[in-house]
Amino acid sequence: MDAVEYLDLLLKALLLAGVYAAMAVGMTVIYGVMKIVNLAHAGFLMLGAYFALEMFQRFHIDPILGAVMALPVFFLFGMLVHWILVRWLPKSDTPTLASLLLMFGFLLVLQNVGYLLWGTEDQSILTPLTLSSVQIGEISIAKVKLVVFVAAVVCMIVLQIVLHRSWFGRSMRALIQNPYAAKIVGVDDQRTARLTFGLGTAFAGFAGALLGMLYSFSPDFGRPFLLRSFVIIVLGGLESVSGVALGAIVLAVLETFSTAIPLPWYWHKWSFYYLPPSYQPVVPFALLVLVLVIMPKGLAGLFNRKWKAA
Amino acid sequence: MAALKDVSFDIPENQICGFIGPNGAGKTTLFSLITGAVRPSAGQVHFRGKDVTGMSSAALVKRGVARTHQVVRPFKAMSVLENVQVAVHYGRHAVTRTAVAREHAMEALKLVGLDRKANVLASAISLGEQKRLEVARALATAPELLLLDEICGGLTGSETGAMMELLHRIREGGTTIMYVEHDMKAIMAVCDRITVLNFGQKLAEGKPEEVQNDASVIEAYLGKSTFRDKKRG
Amino acid sequence: MKRPLGAAGWIKVILPWILLAGLLLLPATHPSDNLIRLLFITAVWTTTSLGWNLLGGMAGQVSFGFAVFFGLGAYTTALLMHAGHSPYFGFVGGAAIAMLASFLIGLPTFRLRGPYFVIATIGVTEAVRVIMNNLDVTGGASGYRITEDKPFSPLEHYYTAIAAVALAFVVSMVIAGSKFGLALRAIKQDEDAAADLGVNPFTSKLWIHAIAAGLTGIAGGIYARRAAFFYPGDVFAFQTGISILLMPVIGGIGTVWGAVLGGVVFGMVEEELVVHFPNLHLLIYGSLLIVIILLEPDGLLGLLRRLFRLFRRKREDSGSPDADQILWGRGGVEGRKF
Repeated sequence: MDAVEYLDLLLKALLLAGVYAAMAVGMTVIYGVMKIVNLAHAGFLMLGAYFALEMFQRFHIDPILGAVMALPVFFLFGMLVHWILVRWLPKSDTPTLASLLLMFGFLLVLQNVGYLLWGTEDQSILTPLTLSSVQIGEISIAKVKLVVFVAAVVCMIVLQIVLHRSWFGRSMRALIQNPYAAKIVGVDDQRTARLTFGLGTAFAGFAGALLGMLYSFSPDFGRPFLLRSFVIIVLGGLESVSGVALGAIVLAVLETFSTAIPLPWYWHKWSFYYLPPSYQPVVPFALLVLVLVIMPKGLAGLFNRKWKAA
Repeated sequence: MAALKDVSFDIPENQICGFIGPNGAGKTTLFSLITGAVRPSAGQVHFRGKDVTGMSSAALVKRGVARTHQVVRPFKAMSVLENVQVAVHYGRHAVTRTAVAREHAMEALKLVGLDRKANVLASAISLGEQKRLEVARALATAPELLLLDEICGGLTGSETGAMMELLHRIREGGTTIMYVEHDMKAIMAVCDRITVLNFGQKLAEGKPEEVQNDASVIEAYLGKSTFRDKKRG
Repeated sequence: MKRPLGAAGWIKVILPWILLAGLLLLPATHPSDNLIRLLFITAVWTTTSLGWNLLGGMAGQVSFGFAVFFGLGAYTTALLMHAGHSPYFGFVGGAAIAMLASFLIGLPTFRLRGPYFVIATIGVTEAVRVIMNNLDVTGGASGYRITEDKPFSPLEHYYTAIAAVALAFVVSMVIAGSKFGLALRAIKQDEDAAADLGVNPFTSKLWIHAIAAGLTGIAGGIYARRAAFFYPGDVFAFQTGISILLMPVIGGIGTVWGAVLGGVVFGMVEEELVVHFPNLHLLIYGSLLIVIILLEPDGLLGLLRRLFRLFRRKREDSGSPDADQILWGRGGVEGRKF
């Protein structure tokens, strides 16, 4: 492989990281504020993709616009889910299995709804953007990837502003950093939790729509992305939005380069092999286990970790 | 910052050794270092001449070192008897037969006066009883060295008295005790030797009366709270 | 300290024997092939349910990854049979390989606690499926076919499955009443406190994981031998792992009878209901899970107990604290406030 090809891969990895970050950030805010491992995230991603598809097919709305429209719609949907299901969970400072299984049950329901509405076959959103590409020197990039990347980054920036400038963002960050102190100074945790769940769901729907423009999807669409989201938020230290960006880049680069980097292998003598492309899906899963075991406090935790075995 | 620095001491066999010191002096940290919950960055722990530094708490129990926690942690979904039974099964003697283990567990419960609550769920007994259950569990592992962390916190006066009596009986049974407590009266009454810690360093060591009269101890520890302690004792 | 058995106690002692006798004598009544098939599949699922419950229910380590052991059992049995060995040797081999895999998976993942362990098991099971899809020895994604010289005998399969579920039941009962079972319950409630009493949580979890994996591997082998054709997307599927987890949770997590009940209900539902409503099974399981988590953590068994109590009007503490401990963490019963 020559330098141009590596540059090409790096560029693709960075573009991928953008949408990965948008995908994982919804899960992070929910975990941060409520300590809920939101397995239903996969379902929200799937619904987001179908939302953009329906908008596109029925009303001829551009999928990018569809993705933006998903934000308010899924925000309300998330608040509704919180009101019906999530608020009955008892508060906990540590994630409970009950919350995990509850969200998993909801994921199964969402998936089934997906199958009932849209059947089992793969669908994809095809727009003029999908097939055209931009040529930069020897590198060609699909336009849709660029557009998706820009949309994701813009949305992340807006989120950062909301988190740091608004009343809601401040109370959210307060709850993440110190729930007790936050409640003492008068943060309404129930209301903030409801808004946070809405926000997390909104981002999931938005990211799902973006992913739907890049990949074909079925009602079972969310699961591999769910696990990728886990890898990202664990890499990012579970609770910080900026950590998510870092985690997304790390995962996207590792995944993209996994089949392009020769791996040393010893069998009677040293030699180099490439990971067969069919094994590429293993990378995020293996990384998930590795990251959880080796650096449970994320990349940042590596620098000041207190190691305690078992 | 080091929670403990240059602290060195020996625990003579078959004695009750008390550890006192103001909040944050490093008493609980000391226990955690000994029982392997925290690995020391420097220094060693020897037990009966063998280096046991950093050994897991389970392995230490097998060698005869057991501890209680300041904050009690009973298995709430088990009966009081079952709580102690776990300790008998997996303690130093590793009793296998259930019937034998139950007998041993009942003995430990009798010692702390909980035998009448044996079949009650551990979540349904009072805090004082949970503290005694914590001691019974540690005792049931048949330890040679028993580390007790604030077993009298939150107990009434008569309960404390009963606990002190219990400590004497445990020692008569041949067990060495390391004892951390805030209640000065209790610790002065029961200990053979006392070590005073302050800001992670050893301040004084000796018999209770010696320590009580040590000028540096009075200044560092009792000095600031003389009034309160006088009122209490 | 033996207390006399009450009516409920006697039922618990006698019921397994009655059930076993009934199941063994059933073929004498010339039942339909469909009923035998239904009972076969239910027995296979119940075996996995009992296996999962050892780790998830007794030791409180909820795993999404039992499809790995089910699939390994299936493939090991198939490969051993292909090499000319008896299928029963194949089941033993499947159990052995599944146990070996359980150690490899457990060594890193049991350093994690609670939901982090759960997530790690999801990662493991997905990774294993991708690998199995690509291995030559498994025939890859296209599947594997078992050919037997003997004519197909539904009753032999049936009795094998009954034997497996009986084995799983006996193993569960023995462990539940043993010192090891007590240690597992202690670990479920408070790992650190258990370690302070001399229990080694890490090795205990490794062993119970291995036993659970072995039982699941046997079930996988028995399933594969009757199915005669299977592929990684089937036996290693994420959905298989979910099913194995759902059964004890639905039936009543942490109790042997709950696992049995869950397995039986799941087997019946899967084979009967799904045939009539093929598009609704996820919806059914999903809503059942939601209802169980929010309203009755003890599952169907808890519901039965509640009904039983209604008739007897007896005051008792509500529900078993075990399910609460697993689902809601250390707080136990008082942790739940509605």
